[in-house]
Amino acid sequence: MPKYGKLTRIGLLAAVAAVLAILAAGTAGAAPAKKTGTTIAGAGSTFVQPLVQQWISPVGSAYGYELQYSGVGSGAGIAAITARTVDFGASDAPMTPDQFTACKGCVQIPWALSATAVIYNLPGTKNLLHINGATLAKIFMGQITQWDDPAIAKLNKNVNLPSTKIATVHRSDNSGTTFNFTDYLSSASASWKSQIGNGVAVSWPNGTGQRGSAGVAAGVAQTPGGIGYVDVAYALHNHLSYFAVQNRSGKFATPGLKGILAAASSDQKPDASNALSIVNPPKKFPLAYPISTYTYVIVPTSTPKAADIRKFLFWAVTKGQTYGPKLLFQPIPKPVLIVAEKTIKKIGS
Amino acid sequence: MRFGDLSLQVVAGAAAAGTTILVGLIVWKVVDGALPSIRHYGLKFVWTNAWIPVTGHELYGAASFLFGTAVTSLIALALAAPLSLGIAIYLTELAPNFLRGPVTALIETLAAVPSVVIGLWGILVLGPVLRTDVEPKLHSAFGFIPLFGEPSSTGSSMFTAIIVLTFMILPIVSSITRELFLGVPHDQKEGALALGSTHWEMVHGVMFPYARGGIAAALILGLGRALGEAIAVTQVIGGVTGSSGIQWNLFATGDTLASKIAASYQGATTNLQISSLIYLGLILLVFSLFVNFLAQVIVRRVARKQGFGAARV
Repeated sequence: MPKYGKLTRIGLLAAVAAVLAILAAGTAGAAPAKKTGTTIAGAGSTFVQPLVQQWISPVGSAYGYELQYSGVGSGAGIAAITARTVDFGASDAPMTPDQFTACKGCVQIPWALSATAVIYNLPGTKNLLHINGATLAKIFMGQITQWDDPAIAKLNKNVNLPSTKIATVHRSDNSGTTFNFTDYLSSASASWKSQIGNGVAVSWPNGTGQRGSAGVAAGVAQTPGGIGYVDVAYALHNHLSYFAVQNRSGKFATPGLKGILAAASSDQKPDASNALSIVNPPKKFPLAYPISTYTYVIVPTSTPKAADIRKFLFWAVTKGQTYGPKLLFQPIPKPVLIVAEKTIKKIGS
Repeated sequence: MRFGDLSLQVVAGAAAAGTTILVGLIVWKVVDGALPSIRHYGLKFVWTNAWIPVTGHELYGAASFLFGTAVTSLIALALAAPLSLGIAIYLTELAPNFLRGPVTALIETLAAVPSVVIGLWGILVLGPVLRTDVEPKLHSAFGFIPLFGEPSSTGSSMFTAIIVLTFMILPIVSSITRELFLGVPHDQKEGALALGSTHWEMVHGVMFPYARGGIAAALILGLGRALGEAIAVTQVIGGVTGSSGIQWNLFATGDTLASKIAASYQGATTNLQISSLIYLGLILLVFSLFVNFLAQVIVRRVARKQGFGAARV
């Protein structure tokens, strides 16, 4: 036996035992927190996160619910509600038939409406340069490589465009913003659709990937000639230059509430799964901003908390919408609201 | 058996067994999670150069990430090794006494900087500097070597990742090496100097051979750090794109196994994509175990040859 004091030995033993005990307790489950009311937990889209965060305190004071939301990304949100580890999921892309099957009795409800801004950094030019979908697709495919390319110059007649090289920046993580943007490019360009397609992540033909809207914005801000895409609220609040995008009527629309509302009015009839497509709307909507999108909440139709979740969702699609505009979320239009409310009523226990 | 002895045995045994079981469980979970992708692609996954997450066109393979991992961590190690040795020699032999403490502390602080902070610094400070000042110069001077091709457009590139990794390996290797050099017996060093050696001859002839095994182990520890680093690399490496899958140009964007997992796991949409990402994790795990194993072989071999020195690590 080495010459440690008995106390030291006992102390060491106690310490090791304590660590093991803590580990054991941790795996057995921490002591339940004291309940102060009903908790409604959700997870998913980071796009809608700023809006949901605004809701936490009013929902708390109106109904006493403790609303918790983790912005883990749309895909992870769908996985979480499929596994029933949360009370609701949130996704920017509508669920696929496979995902509906896996989720066993889930419904999706459109509950927020916003847009994606295409930002750029071109010293010596003003905000709101003009662009269209076909040109954007060619830029992100690497077929247009300079800012003074005739395709861009044609859209910006009175602007003196420099010959700066174009550097595209995209999201390296999975994102509803990427879904919205590539959905638009697929709609505006046949070759984009056949060669690259759309999704929360795609196989980008070139350019630089960055994490999150903040990463894309930083990448563009540091690169003269840079171009990227972010949630519209992010672009506006950080005073980035962004494009006015040509819609099908030939008008150049800005990503503001008006443009989003006009795009939303192009599809007010949710399909059987409640999905709506308002990207690149037809030309009878001259004010429409073509890169607009709905985002969805996903809930099971049968849940032990049915009454509470119904109450919360009714609030979210009505009163909750009034928190939207300052974050560039356009309140959802009446016909969509009616369908949303009808779906919410289906939630039972 | 006395109660104290018995309880010591139980507690210590439980700690050891717990860790072993945990490692086993991790390996099992990783293999289990990767299984759908392993079934779907088999070993071909390892050398397939594609990552297409678009529904309907899904195709996954690890080749470009394996390439990126190997290139970034090996070059980072090659840059960090001489620098770390230089730092250790300076701190143990050459630096004036009043400098040794503060400089050592500063270098060790570098090891404590969270990697997400280093990554942020990589995006905001290092990347732009490399892009505008360093890369064009390297390109015009050494452009005939494929490694120094067209400078990057945004400052995110494999090269930026390499420099960031170098900074992350540096404190680990240099502080271990410094400890090793401090352990070289004084009489041997003084003996060499008394025989008329220069400082360099003494370092080269006495300190290096004495610490050789330990230095090799320290380097491999650094390599392990570089292989597994995810967040900082994700922030500065720019991601694999169509044209940059496997490119020798260090200034092109790329991805490592760890950075791809960090970027894409959250929010992955299909089961095949999720299990392919875990498959990448499995490859990384095998890679790291192999490196660890290599380190042990080297340390044992050197230790057997000299019978001392290596035991310090």
